[in-house]
Amino acid sequence: MQVFPSYPCPQEFSTGLNRQLQQKSDAVWGPVADATGSCRLQAIQDSSLVMSGSLCRLPLKKLLLPNREQVWSWRAGLYASPPLPVRIAVIGLPLCELQAAWYLDRVFAEEVEYQLRRSRLFLVGTACQPGDSCRCRPQLPVAGDLFLDEDRLWLLSEAGSELFDELRSGPGKQERLPLPWPEPPEKPEPELDRDFFLARRQAGVWQREGQKCLSCGACSAVCPTCYCFDLLDEAGLDGGVERYRVWDNCFFAEHGKVAGGHDFRPGRAERLRFRFEHKKLGFGDLQGMASCVGCGRCRDVCPVAIDLDSIAAELRVES
Amino acid sequence: MKHELLPIPARVEAIEPLLPGYQLFTFVPEQPIPVMPGEFFEISLPGVGGFPVSVCDLVRDNRLVSCIRRAGRVTGALFRQPSGRQVGLRGPFGKGFPLAEFRGKDTLLIAGGLGMAPLRALLRALLNDETRRDRIILLYGSREPELLLFRDELMQLAAAGRIELRFSVDFASQLPGPAGGVFCRIGLVNELLEGLELDPLRTVAAVCGPPELYSCLLEELAARGLPAESIFATLERRMRCGVGVCCHCVTGGVFICCDGPVFSLARLRQLEGAL
Repeated sequence: MQVFPSYPCPQEFSTGLNRQLQQKSDAVWGPVADATGSCRLQAIQDSSLVMSGSLCRLPLKKLLLPNREQVWSWRAGLYASPPLPVRIAVIGLPLCELQAAWYLDRVFAEEVEYQLRRSRLFLVGTACQPGDSCRCRPQLPVAGDLFLDEDRLWLLSEAGSELFDELRSGPGKQERLPLPWPEPPEKPEPELDRDFFLARRQAGVWQREGQKCLSCGACSAVCPTCYCFDLLDEAGLDGGVERYRVWDNCFFAEHGKVAGGHDFRPGRAERLRFRFEHKKLGFGDLQGMASCVGCGRCRDVCPVAIDLDSIAAELRVES
Repeated sequence: MKHELLPIPARVEAIEPLLPGYQLFTFVPEQPIPVMPGEFFEISLPGVGGFPVSVCDLVRDNRLVSCIRRAGRVTGALFRQPSGRQVGLRGPFGKGFPLAEFRGKDTLLIAGGLGMAPLRALLRALLNDETRRDRIILLYGSREPELLLFRDELMQLAAAGRIELRFSVDFASQLPGPAGGVFCRIGLVNELLEGLELDPLRTVAAVCGPPELYSCLLEELAARGLPAESIFATLERRMRCGVGVCCHCVTGGVFICCDGPVFSLARLRQLEGAL
């Protein structure tokens, strides 16, 4: 398990931190209760509505990899990069969001556009209360800058250390400690290995769950580590063009289709298995590392109660 | 390696009609894009979109030549543009044919339809090697004789004794070429293997065609005694980013766009769902 430099929280630290973050960023975001009681990640207008550590409807992904992000513009034959992304500090993030940030940072490690946006985000995690759907996976690494508990703080990055040095008054005693993980109501299914998964490619659970699946894609949309994207052009009335990166979804009909119409994942069972494989086994260089952080959003949002952990359990039974 | 989504501007230098619905495009990018045979690059038309394509010739003097079929919205828009227009290019992407593996060995090229395009780049690389004395056999199947790409060029190479050429067509009222000049039969391209003399242990195969072609042909080659490590095929999948991120092309847990699109049969056997 990762350990980080940790200090007792100096007095008035969070007040000072909030002031600093306001000064250094264009906006401070956090989990905010809306009028319906839902918790959304958004710019903080009224600090009394901040629900630190709460799981938001849509994850931090919406800042790391916005659902619609300009990647270039084209005018009079010239391509241009988009304006510099705004500087945003995000506070009150539960640990699983920091794990998802670690994962997306790895996936997009070499991409110029992502890294530029990412370098302008400052992420502050906070201790959370696990909800009914949480199946935390403390073994996955985290990214971010600072982590605050009630009486301790952890320095997760150089930027986090610098900010702490600006704010602290005395020396304080440093220890290297793991982050304080909550006890979730249920343990996640143990990790799967690839051979186990491949041997169960034809298991009945895929057809059964695939028949239930509506292909609505809600699970991927709310997933903190789902990052499939498409690229779409928008032509303006001035003759200019902008290309946008937009979220795509492996449940959608076009996802596996090539020119000429051949579809490599025509059925829902195949699409469900594809997403399961991505979440539980990983793709490409990240094969062997589950990207599911156990936040439970997909379970909560699915209109027909499909649950990847239940599928994993069924695969074990079917064997 | 760092990558970005911003394209490099390029000029469409030449457009040459090949067949109805197929044209040869020459692109000259502002910065070199060294695409090797079997690798690919992305062509963007601002306001319309982008698509991946391979080269059908070696990149010389910073010129990328591609054989493109009018298949959808973006290729349709490209076909409507006159030469001289600007497009955006990104690349090179993927891993192409391992040219070193083809050196000092007989080469068996098997193409189906537009699969001839990337194989022509490989063929040109092989022919470019003046020290080469080994056989080059090309089996090329198409729906009709009229849809054989680069037909005259291939027939000239065959007439000059530089390649051994066999065509197959699904339907034909009349077979191409002067009587007896070119081997052509009606049927599927894998039937061209019948009666073909091969020295399997010193033959390397490269196959490119529609997905249906791979399901039987690659194992048929292995059954003829070619080592699975010497049989290469290039996979077609939906590719949007080209750098192993956007997830459309993933097969058997692997990004076809950066681990492939060219794989050996030995590797394909391990990739669930690849064939």
